Amino acid sequence: MRESSEAAAVQPLDEWCRFDLFAPTPEHELLAASLRQFVEREVEGQASEHDRSETFNLSLFRKAGELGLLGVTIPECYGGAGLDAVAAVQLLEALSTSDPGFGLALLAHSFLFAHNLAVNGSEEQCRRILPRVVSGEWVAGMCMTEPEAGTDVLGMRTRAERDGKDWRLSGVKTFITNGGIAPDTLGDVFIVYAATGERSLSAFLVEKGMSGFRLGQKWCDKLGMRASFTAELIFEDVRVPADNLMGEEGQGTAHMMRNLEIERLTLAAQGLGIAQRALRVMLEYADQRKSFGRPIREFGQIQRHIAETYAEYRAARAFVYDTARRLSFRSAGQRVDADAGKLLASQVAKRAADAAIQVLGGNGYMGEYVVERLWRDAKLLEIGGGTLEAHQKNITKDLARDPSIVG
Amino acid sequence: MKVMVCLKQVPHQDARLDVAADGSWIQEDNIKFEINSYDTYALEEALRAKDAGEAEVVVVSIGPDRVTQALRTALGMGADRAVHVKDPEADASDSLGKAKILAAIAKQEEPDVIYCGLMADDGNFSAIPPMLAELAGMPSATGVISSEASDTSITVRRELEGGCREVVELPRPCLLAIQTGANQVRYASLKGIMQAKKKPVDVKTAADLGVGEQVGAGAAKVKINKIYIPPKSDQAELLEGSTDEIVTQLVGKIRELGVL
Ligand SMILES: Cc1cc2nc3c(=O)[nH]c(=O)nc-3n(C[C@H](O)[C@H](O)[C@H](O)COP(=O)(O)OP(=O)(O)OC[C@H]3O[C@@H](n4cnc5c(N)ncnc54)[C@H](O)[C@@H]3O)c2cc1C
Repeated sequence: MRESSEAAAVQPLDEWCRFDLFAPTPEHELLAASLRQFVEREVEGQASEHDRSETFNLSLFRKAGELGLLGVTIPECYGGAGLDAVAAVQLLEALSTSDPGFGLALLAHSFLFAHNLAVNGSEEQCRRILPRVVSGEWVAGMCMTEPEAGTDVLGMRTRAERDGKDWRLSGVKTFITNGGIAPDTLGDVFIVYAATGERSLSAFLVEKGMSGFRLGQKWCDKLGMRASFTAELIFEDVRVPADNLMGEEGQGTAHMMRNLEIERLTLAAQGLGIAQRALRVMLEYADQRKSFGRPIREFGQIQRHIAETYAEYRAARAFVYDTARRLSFRSAGQRVDADAGKLLASQVAKRAADAAIQVLGGNGYMGEYVVERLWRDAKLLEIGGGTLEAHQKNITKDLARDPSIVG
Repeated sequence: MKVMVCLKQVPHQDARLDVAADGSWIQEDNIKFEINSYDTYALEEALRAKDAGEAEVVVVSIGPDRVTQALRTALGMGADRAVHVKDPEADASDSLGKAKILAAIAKQEEPDVIYCGLMADDGNFSAIPPMLAELAGMPSATGVISSEASDTSITVRRELEGGCREVVELPRPCLLAIQTGANQVRYASLKGIMQAKKKPVDVKTAADLGVGEQVGAGAAKVKINKIYIPPKSDQAELLEGSTDEIVTQLVGKIRELGVL
C-alpha cells in the first residue's frame, strides 16, 4: 500500500477510457477468470507429460467441451456460446500460457473446422454436425495441405468428381492436426478442400467411416506442439454424398478466405500466450537467481531481455485484440491485420521463449522450466496457418492495393 | 429449499492499494475488484446444496455499480438470481447498518439457510454474520468447513483452534459463516456465463427495503478514523547463513541484549 501524497494524484478515468480492450464486456471478463482457473487446475498439470509422450489428451478435450470451450464462436442454436473473435483470442491466449500443443488441437477443431462450418455450411449440415463437435464427442479438423502443395493452395492435387448426385474424392492430405486422435484412430470429421475443376476448389465434409477414407502415417518426432496429433490422411475414391458439399461447388477458395482471419488471429493468440508465460517465468527467475551476490534482475543484459519481451508482448497483444475486436464473421475486411498480427505475434513468441531460455541459463534448456517447450511450440506459428513469407506476401499485396490502410 | 448468499466485493488481491487522500479508506478508483475469497467458499457451499437437491440460490450484495460484476460472476457459477443494494447511504453504513439491510432482504426472501463468508478480506471485521443471524432471529455457526442439510436441520463441521473440529446441528432456518478452503470453488462454464446474462438482478435501495432511516453514515456507531501504513522500523535484522550459523548468531544477539 502507498501513502496518500502520491495517491492524491490518481484521478478516476473518464467512462470511455475504461474500455478494456482485453475484456470489453462482462462476459469476456468472466470468461477470462474461468479460463485462468481452468488452465491452472486442469491444463498445467498434464502439459509436459503429453508433450513428452506426443499424445493428444482426449479427456481434457472433452472436459473443455463440457465447459463450452469448444464452441466459443458457434451460434447458441448449435450448442455454442455465440461469442466473438475477442473471446476466441482470450481462449487461445490462456491455453497457450500453459499448453500450446493442446491449444493447437482445440484451434484446429473449433476454428479451422467448426467455425468454418458454422459460417459456410448449410443449416442442415450445421444442425447435424456442430452439436457433436461442440460437445467434444467428435474430434474435427481441416485438410488443406498436401505433400506437394502447402502455400501454393491452388496447386493441390486432391480432386473430387461428380458421380451421379454424389462425389468421388481422391488424394492425400498431410500435416493434418487432429487427423488422428490416437495411433490407428482416425479423427471424426473433416473439411477437405479438393479441386473440382480448373482453378476451382470446393469444400467437402468427410466423415470417419466413409469407405476409402483412412489414416495414413502419424507424424512422430515433431519439434513442438507435440500434444496435438498431426497425421496424413488418405482418400481413395471416397464416395461423398451430395449433402456433404459445403456451400456451392467452386466456392472453396471463398470459404477458405472467409475463415482465414479467425484462424490467423487465434494462432496469433497462441503466440501471445507463449510470450506471456515466457515473460512470467523469466521475471520470477531473474528475481530469485543470484549471481555474483546479486539477483540477476539487476544486470543490464538481463533487464534487456525482460523489458524488450514485455514491450513486444504488450504491442502484439494490443494489436491482436484490437484486430479481433473489429472482426465480423460475416464479412472479410481485417485480412491485412490478421496476417500482420500473426506475423508479429508468432515472432514475438519465439523471441520471448528464446529470451526466457537465455535468462534461465542451463535451467532454461531443461524441460522442468517449461520455456524450452514453449520455444519449440512457438516455431510452429511461423509455419502453420500460413508461413511468415505467405503473410509478408499477402500484406504487401493488400497494402499495394489500398495504400490508405497505412494511414 | 431457498438459500441466500451474502457476497462482498473487495479489492483484488493483486491490486496496488493507495490510502485515500483523507485517510478514511483506500483509493478505490482505477483498481480491480473481486469477490471476497471467504464469500466464494460460501457461494460454493450454497451451490453444492443446490447440486444435491432442489434449491434456489439468491446472491445478495451491497455496493456501487461495480458490484454487478461480482453478482454476474455468481450467476455465471450457477446462482439463480441476484439482489443488488445500490445506495450510497447503504455503502456508508457500518457493519450493523449493513446487517440490517441484509436482514431486511432475508425477511423478504425467507431463506432456509443464509451462507456468508467468515470475514471480509478488506475490513477483517467478521461482524456481519453474527449480527445478521441475530437480527434475522436465526441460530448461526461460524468457521464452517462443511454442511449437510436434512429436511429440518443442517449439520455442520466447524474448525476450531489447534486443528480441532466440532460437529454442530442447527435447526433451519439458520446462518452459516464459511471458512476459506472449505471446498474447491468452481468456475463459471461458458454456458453459465451466457445464461448469467439472462438471469434477473434486482436493484434496491435501503429505503425500498424499509430500513432507510436506520442505516447510513448518520446511523453508524462505528467510524473508521484513519487507516495508515505502520511506520517502518529499522529494528529488524535478517540473519543469513546456514541453520547452524543463524542459530549461533541468534543466541549471540540474545546474550547481547541480556535477555538470557
Ligand atoms: C504441426 C503442424 C500442423 C499443421 N496442421 C495443419 C492442418 O490442420 N491442416 C492443414 O491443412 N495444414 C496443416 N499444416 C500445414 C501447414 O499449414 C503448412 O505446412 C504450411 O502452410 C506451409 O506449407 P508447406 O509445408 O507445404 O511449405 P511450402 O509451401 O512448400 O513452403 C516452403 C517454404 O517456401 C516458402 N514459400 C512458398 N511459397 C512462397 C512464395 N510464393 N513466396 C515466398 N516464399 C514461399 C514458404 O514460406 C516456406 O518457407 C500443419 C503444419 C504443421 C507443421
